[in-house]
Amino acid sequence: MRLLWLSALACNGNAHTLLNYPDFERWQEGFEWLYHPLLPSTHTLLEVEEGIDGVEVLIVEGTLEEGMIKNSIPLQYLLERYASQAKWILTVGTCATFGGIFARGGEDRNGVHFSGGERLEEFAEFWEKSISLPGCPVQPEILAGTLSLLKEASPLPLDRMHRPKYFYAYTVHDGCTRNEYFEYKIDEHRFGRLEGCMFYEHGCQGTFTHGSCNKILWNGVNSKTRAGQPCMGCTEPTFPREGLWRTPKHMGIPARMPLGVPRRAYLSLAGIAKAFNIERFHRPLLEDEDG
Amino acid sequence: MAEIRLELIEKIEGEAQVRYHYEEGQVTFAEILFLNSRHIERILRGRDPLDALSINPRVCGICGHAHLIATVRALEGCFEGLRISDKARNIRELTLSLELLQNHFKWFYLTILPLLELEAPLERALEPARVAGEMIALLAGQYPHTSYALPGGICGEITPVDLLEFRHRLRRLQTLFRRYIVDVELEAFVHCERIEEMLGKSGDLPKAMRRILDRGWERLGQSHDRFIVFGEGLFHPGKSVGTRLREHLDLRYVREEIVPGTQARKVAYRDRPYETGPLARAMVMKTPLVKEAHRRYRDSLFTRILARICEIPRLIGYLDRLLKEIDLAQEAWIDPGSFPSEAEGTGIVEAARGSLIHRVSIREGRIREYEIITPTQWNLGNGTPEDPGVAQQALIGLRREDPTELVFKSFDVCSVCTTH
Repeated sequence: MRLLWLSALACNGNAHTLLNYPDFERWQEGFEWLYHPLLPSTHTLLEVEEGIDGVEVLIVEGTLEEGMIKNSIPLQYLLERYASQAKWILTVGTCATFGGIFARGGEDRNGVHFSGGERLEEFAEFWEKSISLPGCPVQPEILAGTLSLLKEASPLPLDRMHRPKYFYAYTVHDGCTRNEYFEYKIDEHRFGRLEGCMFYEHGCQGTFTHGSCNKILWNGVNSKTRAGQPCMGCTEPTFPREGLWRTPKHMGIPARMPLGVPRRAYLSLAGIAKAFNIERFHRPLLEDEDG
Repeated sequence: MAEIRLELIEKIEGEAQVRYHYEEGQVTFAEILFLNSRHIERILRGRDPLDALSINPRVCGICGHAHLIATVRALEGCFEGLRISDKARNIRELTLSLELLQNHFKWFYLTILPLLELEAPLERALEPARVAGEMIALLAGQYPHTSYALPGGICGEITPVDLLEFRHRLRRLQTLFRRYIVDVELEAFVHCERIEEMLGKSGDLPKAMRRILDRGWERLGQSHDRFIVFGEGLFHPGKSVGTRLREHLDLRYVREEIVPGTQARKVAYRDRPYETGPLARAMVMKTPLVKEAHRRYRDSLFTRILARICEIPRLIGYLDRLLKEIDLAQEAWIDPGSFPSEAEGTGIVEAARGSLIHRVSIREGRIREYEIITPTQWNLGNGTPEDPGVAQQALIGLRREDPTELVFKSFDVCSVCTTH
């Protein structure tokens, strides 16, 4: 399968993170890079600008900016040419999907199909063949897995934002090692500890962020929330929210509820969980049991 | 006859254009142009200071961790008398050093070897980089783009099991270095001072350096022979003009300047250009093999390429020492109290490509101004024909048949950092 990778305003983080896919060298044998910003490729960027044929998947990384010139011609022109040619278009990372961080750095900056959560008209004719792979960066397993499934012509169910459900039907909360502190409403959290949940005070968005960060571990070994860092909601159209390290509150309760959970249901459950005040959750995990 | 040639340089974390001015087949001047900027400093203005921890790693996909550490140091500078534990400091040093390691492997195999027309399997670039990424993730949650360092220390807690896994992979990195780069005891390589001894070993480094000698390129790419290093940790701060070393530096003399026609601002110390990065670090800390290369070939592409690879065994040794020093009984995070509403702070880091400086000023609890000065701005900044920048000087004088792209890329150019 022939792949063309085009970068708009990007940090290259998605291009790099793909290289962390376990045994990437073997995986990529099934693909040909017509162009990739780091890897040996069939064509130079100049050739891509002049026009090449045979693109099957167009991969776009980075925020689009009105009038951006790649080298000698507008990026928009390249996108149109290769989006028409390709069978599939992958917007890789939150910048290419929703606009992301760099959309905040200037006027007329957005993702390919979205500005935040709002659908755009410009490339609407390509929407049906577009797949959204947000994340800052995307997990390598998500990008490599999506490409492999497309290559095998396997079914790839998508949600309404065209994110593959296999990866984005979960929340980042699923699989977090701090889950018990959330379930039993232990709302004190201090950085530098194994214990505690960052939902209540420190801005964790894991319970309402679509992603597989705690299901498919990062670099095969860990995740941000396991390591005590709040989920920043980096796969969502709202990324980056203001005040990423603090939890916005409404009447003393976190303003955003876990995905699909009505506030009343949350409050009822929280009241019951708190009433039990289970002692184990107030003790350090590694404390001496006799102590 | 005067002639101008515009060349697109790609695969440098983005692209750059170089406009070469030739006279009688020789480069008389080269303008280095970067077309696009994301304006990260603008994005930070008005935000909660802690948001910088999350946004700044996104400056760069290959050295974003250095931007995190520079950010947290700048933010910590805003607190009076804040001290973090030795444990937190050492853990940050571990993850930062690993980012340098993965960068150097990728650069050597993906950028330099192809320009020398040497082939090596892709796994030689990717396997060590992947292992380094796993090691960072063990301590920091993920790589790239973690934000695990925050004022007061680090977000989470580290257990002996994490360090076990870490140490296990460190052995792997040592093995990979010997298997791929140069087959010699790491400690012996750090102290090696004879070029011929290195050239006589097996591995891709001796192969690459022999190729440069065979082609007669070892003196190409000489620049101003002026070096600067601000950061600490494994490296020592100082500046070196040729081999004359001065240890005292004053950040007040660092100035950024807008250059028309490019998105890259240039930066100078007391109005003079300096090279930063592995060659500068090796000159300031007097790495024997690099000093010897410099004695023969000055600050040429030979010396510059060698200097970057010579950092790998040093970094591995540093990781080993840090691991032995870590006392897990100490606090991972010490509460620094609430963020001051008016403050200023500076954070300095030795990143893969050299000294990285972040400056922040806080007003009414929000970021008022944020300034990022990246290593590539030192090396790639545009001067004038009378007063050329570092990479410009390295390109001047090259003939049409000379490897201009290799000279340019010997600086390990990062387009996204340069413009940020």
